[in-house]
Amino acid sequence: MAAHLSYGRVNLNVLREAVRRELREFLDKCAGSKAIVWDEYLTGPFGLIAQYSLLKEHEVEKMFTLKGNRLPAADVKNIIFFVRPRLELMDIIAENVLSEDRRGPTRDFHILFVPRRSLLCEQRLKDLGVLGSFIHREEYSLDLIPFDGDLLSMESEGAFKECYLEGDQTSLYHAAKGLMTLQALYGTIPQIFGKGECARQVANMMIRMKREFTGSQNSIFPVFDNLLLLDRNVDLLTPLATQLTYEGLIDEIYGIQNTSEDFFDKLTVEQEFMSGIDTDKVNNYIEDCIAQKHSLIKVLRLVCLQSVCNSGLKQKVLDYYKREILQTYGYEHILTLHNLEKAGLLKPQTGGRNNYPTIRKTLRLWMDDVNEQNPTDISYVYSGYAPLSVRLAQLLSRPGWRSIEEVLRILPGPHFEERQPLPTGLQKKRQPGENRVTLIFFLGGVTFAEIAALRFLSQLEDGGTEYVIATTKLMNGTSWIEALMEKPF
Amino acid sequence: MDCYTANWNPLGDSAFYRKYELYSMDWDLKEELRDCLVAAAPYGGPIALLRNPWRKEKAASVRPVLDIYSASGMPLASLLWKSGPVVSLGWSAEEELLCVQEDGAVLVYGLHGDFRRHFSMGNEVLQNRVLDARIFHTEFGSGVAILTGAHRFTLSANVGDLKLRRMPEVPGLQSAPSCWTVLCQDRVAHILLAVGPDLYLLDHAACSAVTPPGLAPGVSSFLQMAVSFTYRHLALFTDTGYIWMGTASLKEKLCEFNCNIRAPPKQMVCEEIFKIASMAPGALLLEAQKEYEKESQKADEYLREIQELGQLTQAVQQCIEAAGHEHQPDMQKSLLRAASFGKCFLDRFPPDSFVHMCQDLRVLNAVRDYHIGIPLTYSQYKQLTIQVLLDRLVLRRLYPLAIQICEYLRLPEVQGVSRILAHWACYKVQQKDVSDEDVARAINQKLGDTPGVSYSDIAARAYGCGRTELAIKLLEYEPRSGEQVPLLLKMKRSKLALSKAIESGDTDLVFTVLLHLKNELNRGDFFMTLRNQPMALSLYRQFCKHQELETLKDLYNQDDNHQELGSFHIRASYAAEERIEGRVAALQTAADAFYKAKNEFAAKATEDQMRLLRLQRRLEDELGGQFLDLSLHDTVTTLILGGHNKRAEQLARDFRIPDKRLWWLKLTALADLEDWEELEKFSKSKKSPIGYLPFVEICMKQHNKYEAKKYASRVGPEQKVKALLLVGDVAQAADVAIEHRNEAELSLVLSHCTGATDGATADKIQRARAQAQKK
Repeated sequence: MAAHLSYGRVNLNVLREAVRRELREFLDKCAGSKAIVWDEYLTGPFGLIAQYSLLKEHEVEKMFTLKGNRLPAADVKNIIFFVRPRLELMDIIAENVLSEDRRGPTRDFHILFVPRRSLLCEQRLKDLGVLGSFIHREEYSLDLIPFDGDLLSMESEGAFKECYLEGDQTSLYHAAKGLMTLQALYGTIPQIFGKGECARQVANMMIRMKREFTGSQNSIFPVFDNLLLLDRNVDLLTPLATQLTYEGLIDEIYGIQNTSEDFFDKLTVEQEFMSGIDTDKVNNYIEDCIAQKHSLIKVLRLVCLQSVCNSGLKQKVLDYYKREILQTYGYEHILTLHNLEKAGLLKPQTGGRNNYPTIRKTLRLWMDDVNEQNPTDISYVYSGYAPLSVRLAQLLSRPGWRSIEEVLRILPGPHFEERQPLPTGLQKKRQPGENRVTLIFFLGGVTFAEIAALRFLSQLEDGGTEYVIATTKLMNGTSWIEALMEKPF
Repeated sequence: MDCYTANWNPLGDSAFYRKYELYSMDWDLKEELRDCLVAAAPYGGPIALLRNPWRKEKAASVRPVLDIYSASGMPLASLLWKSGPVVSLGWSAEEELLCVQEDGAVLVYGLHGDFRRHFSMGNEVLQNRVLDARIFHTEFGSGVAILTGAHRFTLSANVGDLKLRRMPEVPGLQSAPSCWTVLCQDRVAHILLAVGPDLYLLDHAACSAVTPPGLAPGVSSFLQMAVSFTYRHLALFTDTGYIWMGTASLKEKLCEFNCNIRAPPKQMVCEEIFKIASMAPGALLLEAQKEYEKESQKADEYLREIQELGQLTQAVQQCIEAAGHEHQPDMQKSLLRAASFGKCFLDRFPPDSFVHMCQDLRVLNAVRDYHIGIPLTYSQYKQLTIQVLLDRLVLRRLYPLAIQICEYLRLPEVQGVSRILAHWACYKVQQKDVSDEDVARAINQKLGDTPGVSYSDIAARAYGCGRTELAIKLLEYEPRSGEQVPLLLKMKRSKLALSKAIESGDTDLVFTVLLHLKNELNRGDFFMTLRNQPMALSLYRQFCKHQELETLKDLYNQDDNHQELGSFHIRASYAAEERIEGRVAALQTAADAFYKAKNEFAAKATEDQMRLLRLQRRLEDELGGQFLDLSLHDTVTTLILGGHNKRAEQLARDFRIPDKRLWWLKLTALADLEDWEELEKFSKSKKSPIGYLPFVEICMKQHNKYEAKKYASRVGPEQKVKALLLVGDVAQAADVAIEHRNEAELSLVLSHCTGATDGATADKIQRARAQAQKK
């Protein structure tokens, strides 16, 4: 039992126990002593699900990291590869298996694909002549990993880049699968809301997957009242700003050596941008940062923030920044700049119109009177700026999105609503004063500040809605930009 | 009472047996049974008859006929035998007819006479011909044992997973054994054979002589042997008319018997006789119930008698059980009625056994019906399980009855109705005279969204029958793309498979189809297909990025995606090329692509990069040291640090580095060098575009307060307080702040007032503040 998962409105321990059970069942299929060969990327997520003691109870005696050539010696009956379905990993596995065969006693090989078995990978193993060497080839659908009583993450590092830059929906498919697993455990979610292209796709996949399961009626009383799917690119602004909650600050400051004065200057510039001051010209502070060769990520975050707060920069301003960056940090960063442009983080203003003020005013993104000691509004998490994503969630629950149609049209991607009909026996009759439970899924990542804002809304007495948060990845502006950077050498 | 047991005959002292006619066979036999090869499947299975013309002296001119009947004699199939001479017939556990030919080929037929497959028993058998053959059943399946003309045995224990085993030679065997049989012990098949008075047991390793314990003397030859269905018991018939019965392990004798018949029997069957427990209490209960129906008080008497003995529960149980073993529904009813009657007088008799027996009997009576012809006994039914019985009904295409049984027994849909419907659909697709549309519609109408029905399985069957179009129509009803796609690929409908895969969102599935298409189509067609499927195209690009870089370039070229082509060549300039010329060439290609993409900025930047690269090369040649791959900014800094100020200036001009940044750059470099003289000269070269606070900051960073103070005085009024505080002149900072009457500045200074030394200053500020408030 992981106690921290069961305090919330929705007991996420149920999910944790379900995935643990699945793991145990798989391990028991491979009878006898075992060694696990890990795709290194998976060790983190697995640590949240099963400690070494669980593995040990099921006769796991050795653990190795997946590497080329031969496997380290281990006197075990079974060798199990825990891997993501990636072709390059299949090549390594094949190398391991082939060099193993030449050595004495034969051992049983198995593969556990996380989170999904892949025909493509199996074909590769077949081409390499080792597919037949595996006794069990199974999948372990570890899509959503419970982090906290109200927090689930897929910990998929590349999700944002894949979805928004490369047109690769793999992580969306996994997200939909993860949502199906959640529904199997916590009941069908009667209403699905969404904003953004990816949100639309995930909803479509869910509806389709539900059709695939016709007949096996879900008879669990629904725990979630609705699901809100949000594209990260609907709100590119929030992660760029420096998070000012406790957890957020730790997340931001960690590993960055800044003088407190410089930090203060940076915040001032950010706040000016977010409140709409001087977003349309070259900013002195950014210029100075470049001239002093401050960290590139910091500079990119600021330039992108300015671009987003101005619905794109004037071509002259944009080109000036880009040129400065290339001359100072190196021409290879032209690839990174290109990526940021593809993601919409950096762009020239089209049509000469700045929509940001409309969005800011309608959604009340900037609050001048923030009480940070006893906050009354979510804007405390950024000392004045209310995260756009969370505002959308808040307005959805009250008074509904109809009131902000105009802004929704400005923000990218479609907004939609789908209903999943329930048999009458499972329809909920809410008690007076009972809060609704909304599952909000950030496709492309969520920051700690957004989580803090949603938690703030959950605990508001007259809030009416409690939130459980799911995401493809827990992130901050730095890790986000870093994932979009490309270093060709 | 005796009317119920009238048909029972005594067997020995303590046992009775009965024989009853199940069906009066409806067949119209053209041949005499004795002229035929006959095989009746166990468990009420079908009967096969093949007129055996090959035993007769003269070769037959007409081809023989193979007839298959149900156990009740209903004809199921009839076909002309066109293959070679058959030695033996037998049914497998799956109710497939195995016909062993003289040449060792085994032909397998379904019970509707449909040819399934054939296999050979090996070369040795082919050469020496088949003298005799047996079909036998084990827990693994059905096997075939062959005695060849060379008097050697070959067997396969499971025809479903054919592994031929040649048994060891029997020493000194010159002619065929007088009789033989297959025994199964410890999951291994053995052969027991008799040669005159000797018995031999053959296993896969050795041949050993065996002797049955307690065998009467004087036997000079064994004429016949039979083994029970479970391989537990064995009977031997000798030339003296003596029968020995014992365990098949030959360790124990059970009984012996002399029938005084010397001639060998044509066939001998070893049955385990079911022992029905003494019926006493049950029989009495049956009587009681009869009397009750007659409203006779005898009912009470009988009942009391049973109760006094405390045997009522037992009596009810017996009646229920006995009903199970009765074939006549009337008799079953009487017994069940008696059980039900007895139950009324019991407080807590669990109802399950009664209810289940009623259900089982309804099922049994239904399948025993003449038209169905599966005369299973209750014990056989229990051994077979309902699932296997349903399979057998499906084999006989008795779908409606199977479904009725499922519904009656309330079996879960997936195991029951869905499975039967799926089988029905698989049969339906084989009806070639019905159009694709009609078949597909009929199947969908009946199956709808029934859970557990796999449309793709049915489609696979249709495809197997050569009906690709029907298969595609059926796949439309399949909601699981994971199932649709592989079959579509198999049917070479790759493009349809691609759109189905895309619809599903399952990228792995899309990849799988793409790689298929890539092999199937020529490159041009493949690229064209991709072009119409943006999602597939992006995925394929991802694949190429990791696996086939060259193809990626071709894809961008095809789409005239010059922007991406540009990026591609930028990457290539780093990845592939070592020589500067090669890198510059790659960059030139990139710049050209950027121009085509109308991305002038990127083109110009790339040209700048080329220029810088060449320059860096020259610098390395002329000055030594490392310049390649430094940024422009760092190149200039390195030049300054190396004392090449002129070159630095030139470079800054050539690349039009903005003044402000150049000042920062120089300032930082000179401070790093601690060349304070040069720094001061530089600061006076013209008015600083970045002010003088950075000079103060950078000197303080190098811990040079002396130099810092020089610049502090030149800092403009806006940043004066900051500068003074930096160099630690709190008092003067206070004065400036008071002069500015700036509250923020006052607070800042105040926060720098530490310890006793600044006490006076702090007081001063407080006073100024107080004064400001008064105004």
